[in-house]
Amino acid sequence: MDNTMLFEMKGIEKIFSHVHALNKVDFQVKKGEVHALLGENGAGKSTLIKILTGVYPKDGGQIFMEGKEVEISSTHDAAHLGIAVIFQELSLIPTLSVYQNVMLGKEMSAFGFIKEKKEKKKIEELISYYGFSLGVNDIVETLSLAQMQMVEILKALASDAKLIVMDEPTASLSSHESELLFNIIHQLRKKGVSIIYISHRLEEVFNLSDRITVLRDGKLEGVIEKEDIVPSQVIRMMIGKELSEATASRPMKKSQEETVLKVNNLYSPGSFRHISFEVKRGEVLVLTGLVGSGRTEILRSVFGADPLQEGEIWVEGKPYKASIKNALSQGFGFIPEDRRTQGFSPLLSVTKNVAITNYDKLSSGGFVKGEKERALGQQVVEMVDLRPANPEVAVGNLSGGNQQKVVLGKWLTRELKLILIDEPTVGIDIGAKDEIYEMIEKLSKQGVAVLLVSSDIAEVLRVAHRILVLREGEIVKEFCEGVVTQEEILMASSGFGEEGEEEENGKE
Amino acid sequence: MRQETLRRLISLVLLLLLIIIFSVTTDSFFTGANILTLLRECSVIGILAIGVTMTIITGGNDLSCGHLMGTVCMVFAHLYHYTALPLGVILLLCLVTALLGGALNGICVGLLQIPDFVATLSTQFVFTGLTYILAVRNQFGQIGAVQINNKSIIALGGQIPGGIYLVTLVFLGLAVLGQVFLKKTKQGTYIYAIGANRKSAEYSGISFFKTKMTAFLFSGFCAFVAAMFTLGRYRSNEVATGQTFALQAISATVIGGAAFSGGRGDMAGTVIGVIFMQVLRNGMRKYGFTTQTQAVVSGIIIVLMLIFDAYYNEFMEKRNKKAVASLQEKKGVKANG
Repeated sequence: MDNTMLFEMKGIEKIFSHVHALNKVDFQVKKGEVHALLGENGAGKSTLIKILTGVYPKDGGQIFMEGKEVEISSTHDAAHLGIAVIFQELSLIPTLSVYQNVMLGKEMSAFGFIKEKKEKKKIEELISYYGFSLGVNDIVETLSLAQMQMVEILKALASDAKLIVMDEPTASLSSHESELLFNIIHQLRKKGVSIIYISHRLEEVFNLSDRITVLRDGKLEGVIEKEDIVPSQVIRMMIGKELSEATASRPMKKSQEETVLKVNNLYSPGSFRHISFEVKRGEVLVLTGLVGSGRTEILRSVFGADPLQEGEIWVEGKPYKASIKNALSQGFGFIPEDRRTQGFSPLLSVTKNVAITNYDKLSSGGFVKGEKERALGQQVVEMVDLRPANPEVAVGNLSGGNQQKVVLGKWLTRELKLILIDEPTVGIDIGAKDEIYEMIEKLSKQGVAVLLVSSDIAEVLRVAHRILVLREGEIVKEFCEGVVTQEEILMASSGFGEEGEEEENGKE
Repeated sequence: MRQETLRRLISLVLLLLLIIIFSVTTDSFFTGANILTLLRECSVIGILAIGVTMTIITGGNDLSCGHLMGTVCMVFAHLYHYTALPLGVILLLCLVTALLGGALNGICVGLLQIPDFVATLSTQFVFTGLTYILAVRNQFGQIGAVQINNKSIIALGGQIPGGIYLVTLVFLGLAVLGQVFLKKTKQGTYIYAIGANRKSAEYSGISFFKTKMTAFLFSGFCAFVAAMFTLGRYRSNEVATGQTFALQAISATVIGGAAFSGGRGDMAGTVIGVIFMQVLRNGMRKYGFTTQTQAVVSGIIIVLMLIFDAYYNEFMEKRNKKAVASLQEKKGVKANG
């Protein structure tokens, strides 16, 4: 690595309807360095990356590439400057081969005919140069995720990228595959390619990066050189110390109530394994962990939305077979992660959406009793304090928070034993969040067992009676007593667990 | 093995099985004359199916190809009956009509972003309407059939010295052309790319409009070729020509393994599908099944194939996932331990 700057952003500003998403942020990447960008959800990382790659226009500041000021106003501009992004969701064409994907949109051709041999030769050279385990003729859909990522990297290399942005590249990789990726990153660095690395997995960030830039609340918090990395300090920079103390949880405790749901040794290939836990009456058990840790998959399997390979489930002491039908007849509620596509029908009114899960009570002889239906709609509107308080408005026209209240309201009117909730407050403003937390509390007070999945640590601390932390499909830590802090959860989920704590104790 | 190759092999085996069954159980199926007739009968549908395949791979469909073919036939009949234009000019005008029809579909789908199904269902009516407007009428204003006596056109209905029909030859030739286009050219690759993952294809700089337009122009061109051979074979034309062809072409394409979800399928599969449907029909006729029974059986076979496809794709997906997962787990344990 030499010390010349490849890329510089100076005083970048971005404002989204009054919110200062980025406030005078400076960000520099040297030639051939791995530069990590750290920050909590909402710190401004993705906004910065989107400006850098031409997805968003900036509202202020300057961008320099190799010393010259540049304007990046489209993804095309970015690609032209040699900036490539490897997205979290891979963007390949599944039915085409590796070489067709790598060369897509920039084929070597004569009279419209592709020069296959030449293309394949070029890509084979790249593959052997970097030691990827890939064939040029392999069809992408038959590859593993790690290999697909290699194809993405090849795509970047084939277009002579100087700067590659990797956004959570290890989220869905096994540890072995991650090792392979790290090797590739080392080689890229050696060849003088710069990498911006974004990951929630701090361990790998600390191992890989030459430098780290930390953002918090849209501001630059600091730039740390490799030699000066102290994990606990970096985490504190990300969270902000005062904040961390303010958001410590209530004391965790083991509930003595009767068990509603008990699962033993759940296994689903590629998603999770050795999963065992119990949820008691009136208890809020939270599953947390990073993207790809298997939290959502576990929830879906318990509800019966995804098949379960192995494992036993008991409901109130009786063996139980997971299926959506059984779940509903047992009194399970389910609030899916993506409420827009799975949680409600946007074109139907609040009343209709709520009524759908209650037609057994609202109809006779196959005919819906309109009056009862309207009464129910009105009841839900009052129960969840919906705004506007109109049961006839189409749910698609409500704000995100109010939509989620309708989804919750759907289940509140039924007699539930257990409710499974997946990321209840994604994309919801703070005021509405509080109301949703209150509704969850209300459910738990009524004796409903709550199994909740969340990646928002502040939320986890707010609602949990007990916390299970997952990593790579396994439960790595249980918090069931005393007060828990954001740092502790972050450490556990990013693979820092015990060492991290010791180090911190040593410091203080 | 590659998912596509395996799927192809399965439909080929089914086809051979069907041929063997009919050859053994009837005397009149596996004869030179019957095979040639069989191939001739499916060739016009086959030519249309080639265009349909293009549109299906882009993740779309072309419900209007048969109706467009009908319109082209009528343009020819109309000009042939009412004008003294030389054949070359008439042919040129027919070709222009076909390409304009394809372009209309291309604009609706590619530029106006109307879903293929709705767009081509609507243009069906446009083409049928045009056919009626252009229809040749007698002195009482009644629509009638038009005799075509032109030697060159009649020659299109003929055979080459080996006994194989010209139309079959052109069908297979077009299939080869289409296959080369799909597999060897940039535009061909883009057709798969747009069909399999429109977003990422567009991020790679591929134009949705251009790609859809290419597919529909190809389909229009196929409608023109199919129209000329239809005229050559029947030597006359009426308004109903081609009205049921689109669905036959689509079913043959789907039997051949192209997926409505896009990104999958090719001409080899479509050729197998086209011949499969015809062998089935021809064999059933040898058994003495009525046309109605034949239709019921064909319909059932198509549904069975679609069910099979759905299960097959899910199965393959799971198999891929499982293979990858077990690989990960093995390595994961090693790395963790």
